[in-house]
Amino acid sequence: MRHKRGFSMERKKARWGWVFVTPSLILFAAFSFYPIINAFYESFFNRNLLSLRPPSFVGWNNYTYLFRSKEFWLSVQNTLIFTGGTFLPLLVFSLILAVFIMSISRFRRFFQMAFYSPAVLSSVVAAMIWLLIFDPRGLANQGMNSLLGTAGVNYNWLSTTTMLRLSTIIVYFWKYIGYFTVLFVSGLGSIPDTLGEAALIDGANRWTMFWYVTFPLLKPTTLLVSIMTMIQCLKTFSTQYMFTSAGAPTRPINVITLSIYNTAIKDYRIGRATAMSILLFIVMFAFTWLQLKVSRTEDVSHM
Amino acid sequence: MNANKTRAWYLEKTFTALMWLFLAGACLAVIIPLAFMFTASAMPARDILKMPYPWIPDGIYWQNFWNALRGPEGTFIFARNAFNSLLVSGTVAFFTVIFSSLAGYGLAKFKFKGRNLVFMLIMATMMIPFEAIMIPLYMVAMRMGLQDTYAGLILPFLANAFGVFLMRQYLITFPDEILDAARIDGASEPRIFGSIVMPSSGPAIATLAILAFRSQWDSLLWPLLVVQSDEMKTIPLYITKFMAETHSDEGIMMAVAVMASIPMIVLFLTLSKYFVNTEGLTSATKG
Amino acid sequence: MILKKPVLLLIVLSLFLVTSAVGAQTIELTYWTHTDDNRTVIENRYIEEFQKMYPNVTIKRVVNEASKMGDLMLTAFSANNAPDIFNLPIEQEYGYMMHHRVAPVNYAAIGYKDAADLASQYMPGTFDTVTMDGEIYGLPLELTNWSIYINKNVFRDAGLDPEKDYPKTWEEMIEVADKLTLRNGEIITRRGFDFRYPYYLVAMLPMVEQLGGQLISDDGKTAIVNDDAWIQVLEWFRTWGPHGRNLGSPTYTAARKIFNMDNNDIGMALTGFYQQGRIRVDNPEFYESGEWMVVPFPVFENAVNNVGCSYYGHFMMVNAQASSEKQEWAWKFIAYMLDHPWEYLETVNIIQPRQDLLDDPRYMELPYMNVFMDDMARSHMVFLHENGFQFERFIKEAVESVMLSNMPSEEALDILRERIQEVLDDSY
Repeated sequence: MRHKRGFSMERKKARWGWVFVTPSLILFAAFSFYPIINAFYESFFNRNLLSLRPPSFVGWNNYTYLFRSKEFWLSVQNTLIFTGGTFLPLLVFSLILAVFIMSISRFRRFFQMAFYSPAVLSSVVAAMIWLLIFDPRGLANQGMNSLLGTAGVNYNWLSTTTMLRLSTIIVYFWKYIGYFTVLFVSGLGSIPDTLGEAALIDGANRWTMFWYVTFPLLKPTTLLVSIMTMIQCLKTFSTQYMFTSAGAPTRPINVITLSIYNTAIKDYRIGRATAMSILLFIVMFAFTWLQLKVSRTEDVSHM
Repeated sequence: MNANKTRAWYLEKTFTALMWLFLAGACLAVIIPLAFMFTASAMPARDILKMPYPWIPDGIYWQNFWNALRGPEGTFIFARNAFNSLLVSGTVAFFTVIFSSLAGYGLAKFKFKGRNLVFMLIMATMMIPFEAIMIPLYMVAMRMGLQDTYAGLILPFLANAFGVFLMRQYLITFPDEILDAARIDGASEPRIFGSIVMPSSGPAIATLAILAFRSQWDSLLWPLLVVQSDEMKTIPLYITKFMAETHSDEGIMMAVAVMASIPMIVLFLTLSKYFVNTEGLTSATKG
Repeated sequence: MILKKPVLLLIVLSLFLVTSAVGAQTIELTYWTHTDDNRTVIENRYIEEFQKMYPNVTIKRVVNEASKMGDLMLTAFSANNAPDIFNLPIEQEYGYMMHHRVAPVNYAAIGYKDAADLASQYMPGTFDTVTMDGEIYGLPLELTNWSIYINKNVFRDAGLDPEKDYPKTWEEMIEVADKLTLRNGEIITRRGFDFRYPYYLVAMLPMVEQLGGQLISDDGKTAIVNDDAWIQVLEWFRTWGPHGRNLGSPTYTAARKIFNMDNNDIGMALTGFYQQGRIRVDNPEFYESGEWMVVPFPVFENAVNNVGCSYYGHFMMVNAQASSEKQEWAWKFIAYMLDHPWEYLETVNIIQPRQDLLDDPRYMELPYMNVFMDDMARSHMVFLHENGFQFERFIKEAVESVMLSNMPSEEALDILRERIQEVLDDSY
């Protein structure tokens, strides 16, 4: 008898589980799953966005084209350069800033808020501001010139390949340094002081304490944060879009997402664009799967 | 021994001083572009690209703000566009919280067949960049007649995978005993959800709401596709009007930037604790 | 009193008929166009007048920035959700025509017998690029070419005489611009001239053609004809840019946006007749002072063809997926709007190539119209191709690579050739 009652309780709970999940599922189905499946389907055809004729089936052609295409690999390269160039400094600097902030006694909140403030602006606004700063007559050149005591040197922030890439990285860095600093501050904050104190009593100085006690305990946070950053960087779009719309050259910063957008909207080649997106999706799936695995196995015990 | 102590003490002090210097320097570097935005909005365009940059403008050049409000066609549509952004962002935030909490709760606290599959599927959608599904999504929206409507701007974003993830992680740690006790007391599931679970999830809800609000406020690509009439434009679209073909007035552009940022800045200053501490929520929640 | 069934049925039926009749007659047209403050004013008036004349028709006019129009139009059409009436530059409209997304002109509705009758009312050759299989697919809103505007003040400030010392060749352009340029170290504070990036098909391709080069061979199969011509032009750009004489680059503010302000930051600009209208509005003193002038598009010293800057057009087109009734009203409305050529000319400064306008004696009296007309006489319609959009992007990237990234011209040209050839071969 009890057995039966327990069983129907299970069933009831299971049903409620579905009830709670269904509203979201419907939305996902309409606005996420269906478009994704549609995109996957499209990648096997060569539809021209303007044409009313039905597209022809091309099988894996879009994919093989991409693998052979110099342009595609260039956009992969651009994306990797951007991701690598952004997430490493972001990680390192935000960790340093977080450690410093935790080491001082006052103004902690102020510094965190100050570093975080750029994240509050929309990316359109951020791009507008930086476009003016990077203008040859703008603050970037003036700053560099006064720092280095030179006069009138133009660093071509938006013209030459290296500088343009650097500029996009700077904008992203500026926008997200606060976000990651705060993340690390919380991570550091969850490490009890007792550990640090114990280490100090044992004769460790600041440096060894950090390296042998704090940092290892911070590893899970660091890992999680790195993967999150990497995924964000792989998806980057607005900065590059705004810069190229304002006249900056496209080639050096033609990241995958921008390439997808241009291929679809400007070349009308929706099949190829969706093939690119599927490839990007696979890469990001791998990263996210990694992230979830890490967050699941991460088990920090402070003892 | 006295000598040793003094040396360590000096090192410590120098280090602390350097640290402060570094923090202050970094702080300044981060704030300068913001200061630029504010000061540039207060000066006429021809002063903005002057060399050297005149940090202190003589008086506030209100024409910039007037023109920013007025809009390039003189229609004062900014107010309406700002309202659109607020409405869309607010509605998305509100409903995202509701839908994500429901789904997160279902996934966290109820065992049912296919639960893991559903979760994996939802997580998978997080990895597709928007540009990939942009066109198919647009076609779905058009077929539903959503072009140039608020619904078109709001609906696609209620399916927020990250929101579901956040709420699920948060609610997993919710004590089962309380839930079971309520069930024994005869409370229905919706009642438990509404009166017990949701009220205690303040921090997570606030985080999610702010994240959703912020990402909608920022959104450029989707409104670009969906909005066709001037009245329905959102703030980012309004801003791009000023980067148009025929004139380029940096002063007005910066004034628009300032005006467009005010809501988020206000939110940031008043609800700062949710911004600054909330991210900790993400790393603190364990799978 | 209970109504008998048949009576009830009759009442319902007649109500239905009445409402559907009224409903069927109300036409709502959507019209998308790009921002232009002056044109918006007069076209809104035309809409009002038209709606008064035909109360069953309402027209909704939507404006967007010119640079975004292409993208917006594409997404709208691809979702089968496009406006009834729209206009785009012809290079962008070409694809729509080729894929039969736009409808041919309804000659009868606007008072013409047929295509030939319509064409005869316009400058010869006007409809060449919007004619397919003998049918005309658009009515011209404007036909524009660009010439060089000169700010006399800037010339005099540099010790030059604008009437005599303006550049007639591209080589002279470099020298003159150099004299006009003011710099703070490497940073340019006043430019002599600035090219019209990113409209490479309109402004840069003619430069190549002046030297005997072509984008695509006449049979449409081979990309890039006459490498030397291309390389000379690419090298010219390299000399212009930061790795050469440092006279400007695409990342400075576009000349046409700041020319009107007479702010001593630009000496010359490449733009069309309509610029005058904008100067008049933005800076009336500058306009009245006459301290500006227009001179012809320069030619290379060793040019083999005297080619001017290409002209392009905006044509009003009608969505082929609109109902035939809507299409008819759309053409009627378009014709009504465009039937005010002088107002368009005087208020918006755009030229409809209508014969009655061009023959009007007042026409050549307009400031510097003779310069524009002479330039137009020696140029041709902008290069049109289904993939023209893409080609322009490739050219843009080639020029940028040479000018900004200091890539060798031969390499850039090879990449350009490869990319265009690939599109031509339509290889997958």
